[in-house]
This record gives sequence, structure tokens and C-alpha cells, in this order.
Amino acid sequence: MKEIRSLKDVPRESLLGGGTSTCQGCGAMLGCKLLLKALGKNTILVNTSGCMTLTALYPYTPYKVPWVHIAIETGGSAATGISMGLKALKKNATIAVYSGDGASYDIGFESLSGLAERNEDVLYVCYNNSAFSNTGFQRASSSPWGSSTSTTPPGPHVPEGNALHRKDLAKIMAVHRIPYVATACISHPLDYMEKIVKASKIRGCKFIDLLVPCPTGWGFQNNSTVDVGRRMVDAGLWPLYEYDGKMKQFRVTVTPRFIPVTDALKDQTRFKHLEAQQIKEIQKMVDSQWKLLNAGKYFEADFY
Amino acid sequence: MIDIIDGNMAAVHGAVLSRVQSVPCFPITPATEIIETLAEWNRSGKWNGQYRLMESEHAVMAAAIASEMTGARTFTASSSQGLELMHELLPIASGTRSPLVMAAVCRGISAPITLWADHSDFLSTRDFGWLMFSCATNQEVVDTIPIAYKVSENSDVLLPSMVGMDGFVHSYTRSEVDIPDQKDVDRFLPRLDLKVRIDVNRPVSLGVPATEEYSYFRVQVHKAQLNALDVIHGAQREWEKRFGRRYGLVQGAHLEDADVVAVCMGANSANIKSAVEELRRRGKKAGFLRLRVIRPWPLKEIRHALAGAGKILVIDQNLAPGIGGMLYPEVRSCLAGDVTVSNFVAGLGGKPVRQSEYTGMISDALQAKEPFRRFLL
Repeated sequence: MKEIRSLKDVPRESLLGGGTSTCQGCGAMLGCKLLLKALGKNTILVNTSGCMTLTALYPYTPYKVPWVHIAIETGGSAATGISMGLKALKKNATIAVYSGDGASYDIGFESLSGLAERNEDVLYVCYNNSAFSNTGFQRASSSPWGSSTSTTPPGPHVPEGNALHRKDLAKIMAVHRIPYVATACISHPLDYMEKIVKASKIRGCKFIDLLVPCPTGWGFQNNSTVDVGRRMVDAGLWPLYEYDGKMKQFRVTVTPRFIPVTDALKDQTRFKHLEAQQIKEIQKMVDSQWKLLNAGKYFEADFY
Repeated sequence: MIDIIDGNMAAVHGAVLSRVQSVPCFPITPATEIIETLAEWNRSGKWNGQYRLMESEHAVMAAAIASEMTGARTFTASSSQGLELMHELLPIASGTRSPLVMAAVCRGISAPITLWADHSDFLSTRDFGWLMFSCATNQEVVDTIPIAYKVSENSDVLLPSMVGMDGFVHSYTRSEVDIPDQKDVDRFLPRLDLKVRIDVNRPVSLGVPATEEYSYFRVQVHKAQLNALDVIHGAQREWEKRFGRRYGLVQGAHLEDADVVAVCMGANSANIKSAVEELRRRGKKAGFLRLRVIRPWPLKEIRHALAGAGKILVIDQNLAPGIGGMLYPEVRSCLAGDVTVSNFVAGLGGKPVRQSEYTGMISDALQAKEPFRRFLL
């Protein structure tokens, strides 16, 4: 695998064919394309039920690498089975799971935790659109506070919409003692692909939580997926970092410009209902989170 | 080699003789000895395969399917609640045509929780596309695992197999078993050569969704089940030729002139057979039929075996609340004309059934003008 330092290092060849059945402007599909570009041909891709499953609708498939789907909660377990099979047959390939946030944070969390506990030699990328998008955008434990989803509509009793704070999955994975944990966003492709290449060179279980803006669920124009992601990062709403499990080192990989959170939230219908006071609260959460992150206190920070 | 071993050890021998390459597993009574022994043999070098203790039976079955998809011969074992937790994945194993083999150590299902033998766990998986073998002795367990691989991996079948035995009655009870030689099993069971598999040199997408083609794929599973009938016959004939032990899809006794036939499966069939023999000594024309293969359903063999009898008693060691015994409607579906088919549900959760209770029930079935359905509580 080649290091990716500039756009010139990104392979031209795509291992993902065109014409897939995702929504226009799908951030998850872009994340998958970049993942395969970074990993190359000697890769086995494990899918879990979700948006990306429907890309391989019989009799067509866009995948030019082996692709396996078993069920929704089987990302970690299916990857383990493939790893066992390859080892038994003395074969070698990179095993990458590309699984949704609902299938990683919620229903498939046990299987992800098992994968990490056994430290299987697998790269697990969670494409995080912050809800159960494939079924029409229901709240998941990845949905941020204050977001409106089809199961957390704002109303007189719960004006903020989603009243729960999201689970911080990346941090939970970091305390599994795996060698590498990172966050990424499709708006920062070099940062993302550098992390993939770095992770794939480490033996053991690696986890990347990849933010993928979802035009259909988040409610924005489908030509602005990358812009929306960029503003999420710039406002500090989605910190891009890596955690080296061996050295126990936390490092922010992209320093945000710290634009006001309202500039990032205003383009997204899922936050349209928020009052100035609630947006202020989000700003407060983001500020205190960064105060701790800048001081290197990763495990003390409550992420928005 | 003759040894005195229990059913769990018989399953281990069957799997290792089949040269299984990959075993994802999770402990559950009364099957745990299988995975403990494989762990021990793996560490001591007696068996060199990939072994993983997973975080749940659900993870076990997902890993088993994925492992099998790489072309590695995969084995696991489970029971009762573990088997129930796998339910989501069992039709995925057959639908993706993954020829893995699982030992199912039969135990009743919760609630209330029970540890003892009962076929409710095993039989509740009967519609998931797996081939289902039900053993009656520890010898059958050793022999059936290589047979199951041979059948499962046949290109006209390509379906997973479940090899059933009874919890405790088999799994923790020792009996004399003739363990075949590795060399002979190797000649019977060649290496797995899965044509469609996970391979970076020939990339395919596996486990894909389908729309209109859905019914086509599911019906293919049914057709493969029907193909398996002949393939099982062939594999069992070859086994008999090599090892001298004969197995059918069903096992019968005293059927030729029987007026009443007791139909059953599993470990209790030995007691039921003794009950039939006791009735013969008393001059009653009783017959015995044990089902060794549950899926594919051996319709022809059952129909042939029951052809002469006017009275049938189906003995179910399982319960499907709302209908009764699970085998009862299936056996009845094979029969036409003037036959009185009664049902006796007995031995739930390992409840002991005395031979006199079997003889009494079979006598009642012989005399019954109307079919009855009774339960031993």
C-alpha cells in the first residue's frame, strides 16, 4: 500500500463501478470508494445490512474486490470468520469492514467489541451518517443531541428533538486496547486515506469512525455533501483525530477553523427546529470538549 | 479403534476426522465438552485448525458462514438457547449455500430453563434449509459428521448440515464406539474445493440482496434439499462399503406385518424399540420406525415403511404449542386413506418415560378407533 500524502498519490483506478443505487450525493458511497482506492485490490470487503448493502442488488455489483454481506449485526463476526478461513488456507488479504453506524454503535456493537477484544487483524470502518438512514432516518445511538430524526421529531414536550447524547464509539474502541483508533470525514479525503494506509500496516484490530453526511437524512442539497462535512469539521462538531493504542497517544490530525456551530448546523434540516438558546448549548458543549482535547485530555472530554 | 466415549467426544472425533479447518464456538450445556476438547487438542497440536471462542452463538454462526465462504471446512456445535440465538443466521447459511456442519446437542428450550434432552430446539430449525441428521447412538455421531460433510459439499446440494444428538443421554454418556482410521476417512472425504468462494483473484459479491429473483433463490434451496435424498443414500452406501456400518434415511424394525407402528427419533428410540419388542412377545403386531434424516423429509421411505399399518403412533419429544408434536403433522402428511394416526408427546425437558408407558401408549394406539393426542406431563 502506497503512502497517500497528496491528491497525486491517490490511485486513478477505482475498485467501485459506477451507477450504484445510492441517493445522489451519498457520503457513504464516496467513503467506500476512497477506502478501496487506499487499500487496493488485495482486499476483502465485509458489509453489514444497511444503505451500502443495496449497492450490490442482484444481478449487479459495483465491487471489483470480494464483497460479503451476512446480516446487520455481523460486521465483526463475519470479518473474524474470513480471517479464520484465510489463516486456515494460508492466504493473505486485507480484511476491511465497511459498516453503518446503526450496525456498529447499536445492533452490531457486541460483534464489533468481540472483534476488538480478540484483536483480529481487521480494519473496521464505520460509515457514520448518524442515524438508521436506510430505513428512513431513525435515531441511533450515534445521533447527536438536538437532531431531528423520524423517531425523534421535535414537539412541545421535547423541543430539541433527540434529547439523548450520542455514544462515543471511537473512545469506547480505544479502551479495548486495540492498536489504532481514528475519526475521519469524507470532506477530508487525504486525512482519511492516510489513516487507512497507516492502519492497514498495523497488525491487529483498527477502527475508524467516518462521518458521512447524508443529504436525504440530514436534509441538504445533494451537491453539497462535502461542504456540509467540511463545516462539521471546521466548527469542531466532528473532531478529526487518531489514537495510537500502543503508545497511548492522542493526536488531533486536522485543527478546525472554529467557525460558529450555527454556520455548520444551519444548512441541515435536521437542526432547523433549534432555537438560539439550544444552539448556544451545542456551542458550549463543543467549546468545553475542545478545551479538554487541546489539553490532551481525550478520555475526559464528552464529545458532542 | 474401539474406545468408550461420550457423544460430545464422538462429535470431536467426527469433526477432526473430517479434517475441519476452522471452528468458531461458544459454550453451552450440554455441548460444552466439544469446544473444550477442541481447544485442548488445538493447544496440544492434536488438531491444527483455526479456533475462536466468540462472544455469542450469533457471532459463531456469522463467523462460521463467513469462514466456510473462504473455502475452509468449518465446524461448530451448539444447543438449545444457543441454537435459538442463531436462528436469524441459519437460513442465511443455507441461502448463501455454505456447506458447514454443526453438531446440535438437543436440549429443551426456555422458559422455564431446562438443561435436559428434548428435540424442540433442533426441530424448530427445520424450515431453515439445513440438512438435518438425528443420531441414536454415539457411534452414529462419529460416522454422521463425515457423511454430513460429504453430502453438504456435493455440488448438487451445497447446504449446511446439522447433526443432532440428545443432550446428556448421548452427549455425556459413554458407550463403545469404533473410531474410524484417519486414512480411511480421508479416502471417503476429499478436501473441500468450493467453486464460488471469497478469493481476491476471482472477486465475487456474496450474500447479495435480490428483488424478483428472491423466490428463485429460495426454491433452489428446496431443490437442493430434494437432491440431497439421493446424495445421502450414495454417501451412506459408500460409508457402509468402507466401514461396514449401514445407515438409511429411516431405521425400521418389525414393519412387515405391523398393525401399529411407533414413529420416533433420537435417543429414546432405543427404549421405544424395546417397548415394541415387548409387545411382540405379548403377541401384538407392533412395529418401529426411527427417523434418522429429518431434512430433507424422507417422504418415500416413510410412506413405504408405514404402508401396511392401519394405526400409527407418532412419539414426539418436543412441543409446538398450538399444534402439538412437531413430527406428528409431518408424518401424517405422508399418509393417505384409512389410517389412524395418534400422537404422544413425552420426554419434554428430559422427563423420563418408563417402558410401560410406551407399551401402554402403543397398545392404546393399536386399539384406537379415533386418533388421540396425549401428553405425558
